[in-house]
Amino acid sequence: MLRIRSPQDLGAGLVFIAIGVAGVYFGQDLTYGSSSRMGPGYFPIILSYLTIMMGLIIGGRGFALDGPPIQRIPLRPISFVILAILAFGFLIEQIGLALTTVAVIFIASAAREKFNVKETVVLAIVVAALCVGVFIYGLSQPMPAWWGR
Amino acid sequence: MDAFSNLATGFAAAASFQNLGFALIGCLLGTLIGVLPGIGPIPTIAMLLPITFGLDPLSSLIMLAGIYYGAQYGGSTTSILVNMPGEASSVVTCMDGYQMARKGRAGAALSVAALGSFFAGCVGTIFIAAFGPPLAALAQQFNSPDYFSLMLLGLLMAVVLAHGSVIKAIAMVIVGLLFGLVGTDVNSGAVRYTFGVSELWDGIDFLPMVIGMFGIVEIIRNLEEKEVDRTAISTKFRDLWPSASEFAQSWKPVLRGTAVGSILGILPGGGAVLAAFAAYTVEKKVAKDPSRFGKGAIEGVAGPESANNAAAQTSFIPLLTLGLPSNPIMALMMGAMMIQGIQPGAAVMTSRPDLFWGMVASMWIGNLMLVVINLPMIGIWVKLLSIPYRYLYPAILMFCVIGVYGTNANAVMMILTAVFAVFGYIMVRFGCEPAPMVLGFLLGPLMEENLRRSLVLSRGDPMIFLQRPISLTLLICALGLLLVIVLPNVRKSREIAFQEGG
Repeated sequence: MLRIRSPQDLGAGLVFIAIGVAGVYFGQDLTYGSSSRMGPGYFPIILSYLTIMMGLIIGGRGFALDGPPIQRIPLRPISFVILAILAFGFLIEQIGLALTTVAVIFIASAAREKFNVKETVVLAIVVAALCVGVFIYGLSQPMPAWWGR
Repeated sequence: MDAFSNLATGFAAAASFQNLGFALIGCLLGTLIGVLPGIGPIPTIAMLLPITFGLDPLSSLIMLAGIYYGAQYGGSTTSILVNMPGEASSVVTCMDGYQMARKGRAGAALSVAALGSFFAGCVGTIFIAAFGPPLAALAQQFNSPDYFSLMLLGLLMAVVLAHGSVIKAIAMVIVGLLFGLVGTDVNSGAVRYTFGVSELWDGIDFLPMVIGMFGIVEIIRNLEEKEVDRTAISTKFRDLWPSASEFAQSWKPVLRGTAVGSILGILPGGGAVLAAFAAYTVEKKVAKDPSRFGKGAIEGVAGPESANNAAAQTSFIPLLTLGLPSNPIMALMMGAMMIQGIQPGAAVMTSRPDLFWGMVASMWIGNLMLVVINLPMIGIWVKLLSIPYRYLYPAILMFCVIGVYGTNANAVMMILTAVFAVFGYIMVRFGCEPAPMVLGFLLGPLMEENLRRSLVLSRGDPMIFLQRPISLTLLICALGLLLVIVLPNVRKSREIAFQEGG
């Protein structure tokens, strides 16, 4: 019976295999060409197979060598941080930087267990003012300060 | 002497009012963020990259270099005062620096670190001025096969000398190479792996990737850890000078550290972290009484701090002369240069001498600024430490996303950032560092192009890589390196080098 001795290695191996397989699968329509005339698919396909090979070796080690366990992944921080990034992308053109900042700060602050509304309001206002001042007036970055542009 | 007239050109370019200003801003911003806990130089540079894009290439590079040194300087300050390394290369400084601070010699530790760094920085600058041109001249003789072999060797060295699992790092490099190929193939015009997303036709953008994998992942990781108490040991300005005996104890370690750092910095993958660890080991070996280390030996601060700064300088050499980023920070620099429309490599020195020499000169100026400006400002930096992370990270996150969006105002970029953040996070949990992937990502298209050209030259015969002497030599080195890491006792000493005192 195979026993998983190093879950980190096995996990990494599986990810690499998946990437390699995806590389081969989605690259199958690309012309491979020949060595003297490399097509657009030549190098990617070689790399994809190399990735699969590395994945097999690393994943195989997961059964052969002892390794540390995978740390528990607390879902709260990662989900709120990712949500904040996506929210920025969808809101910025709609409501402008000032209000987007407030929204992002609120979502980001919720990534911690202890969420303090009062503190977050103050923080949101300060950061929003700072961002609008620095990035729009100072560095003239290409984004609206307010809605309706 | 040629090098001196070149350096003079450089100083003329770097000492313009505007560039001095950007060097200063870079140093201050770098120190500011380097002092803040939980943000190392890589996320710092990634986050501040976008700010520099509006500038002309030289100013932008000067500012970035300033941020880099500043972040390192800030990192050593927190190591000494709070026992919290702001970044990996200051981990060593913690061991003796913090102990010195507890004995009331914080000022001495800080100033020895600063002066040692400055001295190392001067030597590093001379190193670049001396070794840059001959290396670049050598690189001019390189042909496609040689470049391909060079990149192979460089990537291999980068994973061997960096810490973490070698085999996983190699896999990450390959994945990075693959990601680097996404987008339109320059040769055939075929679109690769874009999944119908037109934003990917020009390839995956550099910023969403580095910000996602370094900046955002760092935030998430910090959030998972408990907030630690960060009370700094207070220092007064008048305590800043080392006593005569401390000075006498530290000048030799500074010299040794500088030598170790300068050499390790040039090697791909070397960089500041390895240099600091190696210098600490050297100091411990040559010390009459090694048991003092870890209890506040000033040599344990002077050596590594000089070494990491020397290495930080000389690691620019492979990038500027061969176009080879030797560590993740150099990869960011390379990314910045490419966004500015400069392909780093030997050609820069001949086509834009002002850029090359200006940057070299600015490194020295930046180091001087750090000593002059920052020592008196230590009090302010320390105050910054008391800002709790819960106020910092939402703002940092905000700067990260604005940075990505500011260079490419498109919601798809935010999705890319999120995707890379999740991917980077998962890989970290599986024990794979994201840094090698970024190196591969930048070199992917270059390797493909050089491979293609080589094989066209040889009509498809792969033996061309063994027939050209330069390429053959590089490949033999690469093979030797591979053999060496497979040998068990070398592997063991590599692990020890990174774990020393850990």
